[in-house]
Amino acid sequence: MEGNSTETRPQAANGASTNGSSTDKQTLYAVLQYLRKNNLKETETLLKKEANIQDDDVPKEQQSQNASEVSQALAAYKSEGDPSLYEDFYTNLKNFVEQSLDTYKGELAALLYPVFVQMYLELIYNGHEVAGQIFFIKFSQEQESYYEDDLIKLSTVSKKEHMQGNQLMESFRTSRFVIRMSRESYTQLKRYLQEKKQALLLNIIQERLFIDVYDGLPRTKQQIDVTSGGMSGEARREANKSKVLYGLLKEPDINISLDDDDDADGEDKDKPKKKKQKKDLLSMKKSKNDPNAPSNTRIPLPELKDTDKIEKANAYKEALKRVKITQENKPSICFYTLLNSYENTTSIEISEDSSILSAGFSDAVIKVWSTTPNKLRCMKTGVELDMIDKDVDDVLERMMDDRTASEYKTLCGHSGPVYSTSLSMDKNFLVSSSEDGTVRLWSLLTWSNLVCYKGHISPVWDVTFSPHGHYFASASHDRTARLWATDHYQPLRIFAGHLSDVDSIQFHPNSNYIATGSSDRTVRLWDVLGGNCVRILTGHKGAIHCLRFSPDGRYLASAGVDKTILLWDLANGTLVGQLKGHTGTIYSLSFSRDGSVLASGGMDNCVKLWQVSKVFNSQDSEGDLNVPANVDLNENYEFGSYQTKATPVLCTHFTRRNLLLASGPYTPS
Amino acid sequence: MAAPTKSTPKDAQVMASILKDMGVTDYEPRVINQMLEFTYRYVTDVLDDAKVYANHAGKKNIDTEDVKLAIQCKLDHSYTTPPPKDLLMEVAKHRNSQSLPLIKPYTGPKLPPDRYCLSSTNYKLKALKKPRLPVGLPASAYTLSSPKIITSGGVSKNQPLNLASMGGTSLSVVSKGVSMPTVTLVTKQGTSSSAAAMPMPTIRLTTTPSQSNPLKRKAEDDDYDKPS
Repeated sequence: MEGNSTETRPQAANGASTNGSSTDKQTLYAVLQYLRKNNLKETETLLKKEANIQDDDVPKEQQSQNASEVSQALAAYKSEGDPSLYEDFYTNLKNFVEQSLDTYKGELAALLYPVFVQMYLELIYNGHEVAGQIFFIKFSQEQESYYEDDLIKLSTVSKKEHMQGNQLMESFRTSRFVIRMSRESYTQLKRYLQEKKQALLLNIIQERLFIDVYDGLPRTKQQIDVTSGGMSGEARREANKSKVLYGLLKEPDINISLDDDDDADGEDKDKPKKKKQKKDLLSMKKSKNDPNAPSNTRIPLPELKDTDKIEKANAYKEALKRVKITQENKPSICFYTLLNSYENTTSIEISEDSSILSAGFSDAVIKVWSTTPNKLRCMKTGVELDMIDKDVDDVLERMMDDRTASEYKTLCGHSGPVYSTSLSMDKNFLVSSSEDGTVRLWSLLTWSNLVCYKGHISPVWDVTFSPHGHYFASASHDRTARLWATDHYQPLRIFAGHLSDVDSIQFHPNSNYIATGSSDRTVRLWDVLGGNCVRILTGHKGAIHCLRFSPDGRYLASAGVDKTILLWDLANGTLVGQLKGHTGTIYSLSFSRDGSVLASGGMDNCVKLWQVSKVFNSQDSEGDLNVPANVDLNENYEFGSYQTKATPVLCTHFTRRNLLLASGPYTPS
Repeated sequence: MAAPTKSTPKDAQVMASILKDMGVTDYEPRVINQMLEFTYRYVTDVLDDAKVYANHAGKKNIDTEDVKLAIQCKLDHSYTTPPPKDLLMEVAKHRNSQSLPLIKPYTGPKLPPDRYCLSSTNYKLKALKKPRLPVGLPASAYTLSSPKIITSGGVSKNQPLNLASMGGTSLSVVSKGVSMPTVTLVTKQGTSSSAAAMPMPTIRLTTTPSQSNPLKRKAEDDDYDKPS
């Protein structure tokens, strides 16, 4: 670098006005900082020599950077821009968006929120607090309503020192806000930025946002609204590209005795028809290889014990007696109300065969009830077990001590409110999660606590057993979800990636995938085999408290604070349905056994039924990633709404015969 | 919920406006009291810590740096924030790289190794009769006719064990030697004075008795649990 070029540089860099050696020196320092940042050491020393700058002349801010990565990256916010210019830039951008063609307006408007946030953060970082305040107050009201919560949190960051401890700042820094834009809108934007020479804006957009350009029609405001709401924007195309094996596992061959012994059907002419039905079902079960199904050995699964086979046979028999639910033939609902719980109940769960109901309470106990006339019994002691004959058919009955039979059992052990419980398929185990950060495994034979899994240090919001047993997964405040096996005291998989606490978790029917819903308003689908995230689904405008997979594994329903239920197609990660109607947070979802009806319940004390078969049937077999969510927002799929007196609905569950069970604590205000 | 009237103290009004700023609109009126109590306690704790740091640094008055340090320490101690995302991803990557372990079939309920389970007993069994086990003692004790007992009160030589004089303290006779069992005598806090009402000490033997030690004493002489 020669002497004359150093003098021309400041003039070129200092685009705006102002003379004076101080600003020249400042820009010189800025150049030096830039060189140092990019490790151009030789150039740096040369420049220093030429411009006669000593090392200690360079502003302290650069040198006193501590090792913390956060402050280094935050220094990227440092800009020499004049604070008053920010307002002008933002207003110009707003005007540009307003004046653009209607087709592009929706997509360009999506830019306003992230640009606003980044500009505000830059102002705060560079110490222009007053200007920042004015900027914030002026423009925050105009942002979309669903970003309100984030804006409130952002408003607490009013000084530079606040930025370092704040989690939200970190997430805004690390994950670039993603905006999906069609190519045409993108060219409009580029043209605007280049024409007006808006260096600041260009800088922000290039570094802090990620614009995912796709070839296709620009989306309307309505379509964009449907999929926006995520804390860091929408999902990139690559995030949802990998193949998801959503099919069900191949069922093993089980010899089922076809004689129906418990349902005496007197009419002879019905019997031949029934037999034909059974045969059809069986032949369907010996399914051809589903290309979308994972192999049975993709993840290690426990072998089927004899008791499991008997249970499966029972399940088939029950399935035959299943009632078909249609809009004319609505299901009967049996509601279990918990009285006298005084707002203590935190979670309710019903087992798969509908015989056991377990509830977690904020005083750290778990109560388990039997919904059938069979009472809950404890297993006999070791001494007594030795004496029974093990080869008898009803050894499982003899194993239980009738003297201990009771309608409900209490499990104590946690030291904080129990936020979630889950029962295993074989009804031997119950797993519970609590605010004390532990997950506990209980035996439903001895009614005692077997294992305490310590891994999360913060409250664990949700826990669920795998449909094949042996594995269970937990979701916690520390933004991770973990996969555990009952025989390992440490987690097998850690699913990290959410920007805020993970509120709900659910296994896919084939146990190969796990879905998590978080307070960052996204739903993620994780692969159990590798622990990687295979789908990111945005669209919720509030935290997600409930997830359910459809019985065929293809679709996922999610619901939460924003009072809408969203239906997703897992094959390509697109939104296929939006169900509005609830007036309070939704805490429970349940698909009917054939996947045609969805029942939901929540804080509005209401159980609602939705005809989702209509939604699924209107989908093509192959969706297109580029085409935005083809959601029909006008049609109403709700066909039943049942109000309780003062009982929020914390659990809904379809039995094997499609009877709907629901449960909640009676909370008179 | 009810907006604080002019008569509520200034602190309460400030707290109400903080809640409003943070977007909390629906809350019971007692919440303000709870928040104020918490704030008061937190601030006094921080200032106390800051005073300690200022004293340590030899300063007379509290400085902002002292307060900052106090807040930082309190944060690390009580409020554990979730780990930063980079660390989480790192840990997750490491954990997820190990393949899922295979499941051994036909092993009954699959539980972790016993020491990670809560399935062991939470009680100890008390011996009903004195164990007829040979107990070895260090060689030095064999010059005496009775075992040497080290108590809080002093050594009593040639005196049969008189637990009554112990005054209810728990004593432990630990005799260690080559392949000898350790005998721990635990006396419960007795009903003090009367020597006659002697609580039965529980004798806990931690190793199996040895057989080959020539310095063994006969069991009949080991009347530790009987008053003399």
